[in-house]
Amino acid sequence: MNMQSIELIAPRYQLAWQPWAVQYFFLVALSYTTLWLALPGAVFGVQRWKPAARLALVAAASTAIVAPVSLLADLHQPLRFWHFYAHFTPWSWMSLGSIGMPLFVVLTLALAWLVWREPMAERAQEQGFVGWVARIARLGDWVSPRWLIVLTGLGAFAASLFVALYTGYEVAVLKGRPLWHTDFLPVMFVVTGLIGAAGLLLVLDRFTGTRAADLRADPALADAPRDRPFSRQMLKVLLIACLLAGGTAAAWFGVGLTQRDPSVAAALDSVQTNPDWRWTTFRAVGAGGVLFLAVLILLLRPRIRGFGWVLGLMALHTAWMFRWVVLMNVQTVQRQTAGFSEYSLSLGSSGLLGIIGSFGLWLAVLMLIDIFVPWRAALGGAAEPSVSSDIKGVPSHG
Amino acid sequence: MDLARRLFMTQTARLTAGAAFMPLAGVAQAGINDQPPRRGGDPAKRYAMLIDLRRCIGCQACTVSCHIENAAPLGKFRTIVSQYEVENEETGELAQFMLPRLCNHCDNPPCVPVCPVQATFQREDGIVVVDADRCVGCAYCVQACPYDARFINERTQTADKCTFCAHRLEAGLLPACVESCVGGARIIGDMNDPDSQISRMIDEHFDELKVLQPEKNTVPHVFYLGMDERFIDRPQAAPGLWDVRDHDGQEMGYEYAEH
Ligand code: SF4
Ligand code: SF4
Repeated sequence: MNMQSIELIAPRYQLAWQPWAVQYFFLVALSYTTLWLALPGAVFGVQRWKPAARLALVAAASTAIVAPVSLLADLHQPLRFWHFYAHFTPWSWMSLGSIGMPLFVVLTLALAWLVWREPMAERAQEQGFVGWVARIARLGDWVSPRWLIVLTGLGAFAASLFVALYTGYEVAVLKGRPLWHTDFLPVMFVVTGLIGAAGLLLVLDRFTGTRAADLRADPALADAPRDRPFSRQMLKVLLIACLLAGGTAAAWFGVGLTQRDPSVAAALDSVQTNPDWRWTTFRAVGAGGVLFLAVLILLLRPRIRGFGWVLGLMALHTAWMFRWVVLMNVQTVQRQTAGFSEYSLSLGSSGLLGIIGSFGLWLAVLMLIDIFVPWRAALGGAAEPSVSSDIKGVPSHG
Repeated sequence: MDLARRLFMTQTARLTAGAAFMPLAGVAQAGINDQPPRRGGDPAKRYAMLIDLRRCIGCQACTVSCHIENAAPLGKFRTIVSQYEVENEETGELAQFMLPRLCNHCDNPPCVPVCPVQATFQREDGIVVVDADRCVGCAYCVQACPYDARFINERTQTADKCTFCAHRLEAGLLPACVESCVGGARIIGDMNDPDSQISRMIDEHFDELKVLQPEKNTVPHVFYLGMDERFIDRPQAAPGLWDVRDHDGQEMGYEYAEH
């Protein structure tokens, strides 16, 4: 019998996880993926990766500081966070995460500290507040031992793998939400994180002045100012990450169609029955495709590579949007009643203000690092460019 | 999976995971997202509910009495009766379908192992409860329940859900919803007691009983008699009340909206 039915009465609840959750998943993914990009240069001393490592360490450390704050904010009882440690629960992914995530944060910050101690030595000679902070923060006048850097780096890497695993499976383990309940989701979190990481480094490169300094320092670059090894490298990482993301999405869909993965069935169902979801899907696929093509074009045409940072912003947007759609939109699917509960972003601290606030906090942390840490000089980098020496007026290209 | 097999599995689970083996079983199941051992409550009992849909008239008396008894915030419900107006597309005939919904006190409750602080747990009598003093309000359990049976209570800022009115059961009373049901549609009782009304009804109607979303393998312990198969999963229906909008597309008001 064909029937049409109307649900006359249905409670509509707020979404249980707020935009804070998106912020956490976004920042923590940026943190562990930028750490990965920092490792070859910062820990294993690969020369080619040192420029990337300088920026990546700043990115990894700053996001590692802010991510737990947004996580705490998503608890409805944030002051009870100590319950996590008073009642450790080894069978809950979230509880495991409450051990692994702080470990990751501490080890990442320790790695950054060990690396930054070196350029801070010079700072420590200076007068004034900044010099005083450098003296205190170095914790004594000793050279960071190589073995300690390697050990901390490997420890941070191990912790980052765990964080990638736990943030993915924390969500994927929930069979109550078929759209989340797939092994492809953790993979997708990682590869879209990598897209965001490459994007973040391109953006930081543009706005912290490392690019301009590079162009000033290397006369060879004056002829082909946009063909810097760093931007080529990051665009390649971005390209690979895009390919991986596309491949993962295709594999998810393909496996789902042949083996009837319920998450694919649920996705198709949502796309078929809801115009908003259809639009979101088109937009996501479209944005991914455009990003991939643009990266490809920039790699092939060094002359316009100065726009790399624009692609960086697009990449960050892609990584963030993926988490928004997966975490927020999926929550609007009702599970035992009809339809979708609409979600409109509230303006308060649980909504828009929260999103802006956590990005603002991240910017503040970034600025503090920039003020107190001579990170540009780390790993054998050139010291801070003094603006006054720029009288020759090398164009800064964008 | 049909109910018979599911019930059978429950039975075997209960026989093999008897009280003496419980600690051992707990250790053996220490894998991530496995069910932790149950605690508290009477191990001799297994509470369950049977809802005879043929007797439900959709009056929402249970909804209201539960709301008052358990002081749920406005707009949030531990139990509610979903009401559907079903139209036969060929004949245009209209019919009503009522579906009282509440926590299923699942035997394999996905909401329990996710809780990072063990605030949500299952008692030995099968009732799934939340320790509101311990709950950190992470809402992980709300995501884990496939039935939307949980919510975050904005007054306590912790997870909230039906407890089968455990506090009333302990005092020898019936849950508020059972007490107030005018048609006598809700029957609660101990499945382990062969003489209880629920056990007798399960025996009598064994083949007709249905549970919600059985394929999720949560093994629900709220059984429905007279259940229409099309409502076992998320129904293909248009939500009615949500579409109340004025000319500008703005919502005109929502009966249960926060005030
Ligand atoms: S119905 Fe939901 S809240 Fe109740 S026991 Fe099952 S999974 Fe848990
Ligand atoms: S909201 Fe409370 S009961 Fe639910 S998983 Fe989190 S801590 Fe546990």
